[in-house]
Amino acid sequence: MGKNILNLIILCCLILGGMSNAYALEQGKSAARQIVDQFQDELIDVMKNGKKLGYSGRYDKLKDSVTNSHDLSKIARIVVGKEWEKLTETQQQQLVDVFSRLSIASYAHNFKDYSGETFTFDTEEATTRGGVVIHSHLTIPDDKPVKFDYMLKEKGDSWRIINIIANGVSDLALKRSEYTTILQREGFDALIAKINEKIDNYSKQ
Amino acid sequence: MNESHKNSLHIQANQILLCLMLGFVIGISGCATASKESTAINKDDPYENFNRKVYGFNDKVDGYVAKPVADTYKQVTPDFVETGVSNFFNNLKSINVVLNDILQAKFEQSGLDTSRFLMNSTLGMAGLFDVAKSVGLEQNDEDFEQTLAVWGVPQGSYLVIPFLGPVTSRGIPGAVFDAAANPATYVSPVVPIQALSLINTRANAEGALKFIDEASLDPYVFTRESFLQWRNHLATDGKSETSSDLTDDIDAELLDDNQATDKKADSNLGGVIGAKVPSPDKNRASSASTGNKNTLQILPPDENGADKNPTGAAPKPLGVSK
Repeated sequence: MGKNILNLIILCCLILGGMSNAYALEQGKSAARQIVDQFQDELIDVMKNGKKLGYSGRYDKLKDSVTNSHDLSKIARIVVGKEWEKLTETQQQQLVDVFSRLSIASYAHNFKDYSGETFTFDTEEATTRGGVVIHSHLTIPDDKPVKFDYMLKEKGDSWRIINIIANGVSDLALKRSEYTTILQREGFDALIAKINEKIDNYSKQ
Repeated sequence: MNESHKNSLHIQANQILLCLMLGFVIGISGCATASKESTAINKDDPYENFNRKVYGFNDKVDGYVAKPVADTYKQVTPDFVETGVSNFFNNLKSINVVLNDILQAKFEQSGLDTSRFLMNSTLGMAGLFDVAKSVGLEQNDEDFEQTLAVWGVPQGSYLVIPFLGPVTSRGIPGAVFDAAANPATYVSPVVPIQALSLINTRANAEGALKFIDEASLDPYVFTRESFLQWRNHLATDGKSETSSDLTDDIDAELLDDNQATDKKADSNLGGVIGAKVPSPDKNRASSASTGNKNTLQILPPDENGADKNPTGAAPKPLGVSK
């Protein structure tokens, strides 16, 4: 009898444990989706007010949106691939700094006006190594929709966007090819100079 | 929007310059060992040094010839005529799409594409109006290179062809087949029709090329990567993307991450948040209508036909020193 009760307790613990695990997983997934949803909402909001805000207004608004939803330091590290290890600490910091500014600037430059675009969530899937991919698409009036797949990784108790794949073109892969090529062909200073030039151009247009 | 018809134009141009192309390909194989040596970083691009030269050449041709002509065309042609021209060439390409649907055993899709072609050729006044789109029949993008991919032919090396732009070795027989199957190749008078199709293609690619100008640090690599990824996306009908090797690569790199790096990088973000905000923009009025096509941070150039540009229109780097 006592043994049966013990078994029952163990069973309950297992079930509860399993449930809480499942619950945690569910929480984790929806947390990832929340990050993407919120970022897309903020982006659309900035587009709607794009003209009024002007470039610097959009930059200010998106600074928090982008840094809170993207893991910019990790992205900066991935886009230089193995070259990262060859950089000094100062260079690594400099890279993360200018890369983050470039990311925000390119959003501020490109998402500047609104003509009825909407983001729609499609599906969510877990990757083999603990990441999450949020599949969504951007509907553009009178144009083909653009697929946006966001790859997220857990960071602390939240999730951060690591990569965006638009219509099958991976932003991370694209940037990694560019950045590693420039580092190998022209060196670190040239890379930083080019990034700064892009930021400048974005701010002027 | 118009990538499929641009593709057809790209293909026609390929046929016109077929001899030239083949000549160059043979030439390229000849100098392969010479150009491989130092900086072949990407395995898909063993002839990078050579390709970069051609890319630079195409860029100049574009800047001096193709872009001015296309700009003038856009200025003097009313919008509805431009759209009509685009639709016309696009509709002729539908025959290719149907053929390749069948070759890839996509029978249901071939039925839809056939209705699309018939509807636009009749109600759409020989293709000048895209009636099918307004009833929800979107054009599929199929070509013989994709068919070869479906049949298991490997992609081969990335090549930049003079005047024509990027292609893979698999794309060359693909282009020949598509050109042969496209009525636009035979429409008389051939030369003006081909010229119009080239100009039309360059004009349509403007948005994408401008985007590459703005976004790329190394326009050559940017064009190559987005071209290869986009072609792969088309060939696999979008099924390859997130399950791809890249995700695993990234995962592996993330696992390699050590905490120290993370912490250090995190502390940098404080600096980023406090970073100096670049100066305000001047809000160019011209961006209003095209802005949204260019809004996509990572829109593949092909979306606007950049990589299928028969003029070989390479983006001009914005003051990027080489």
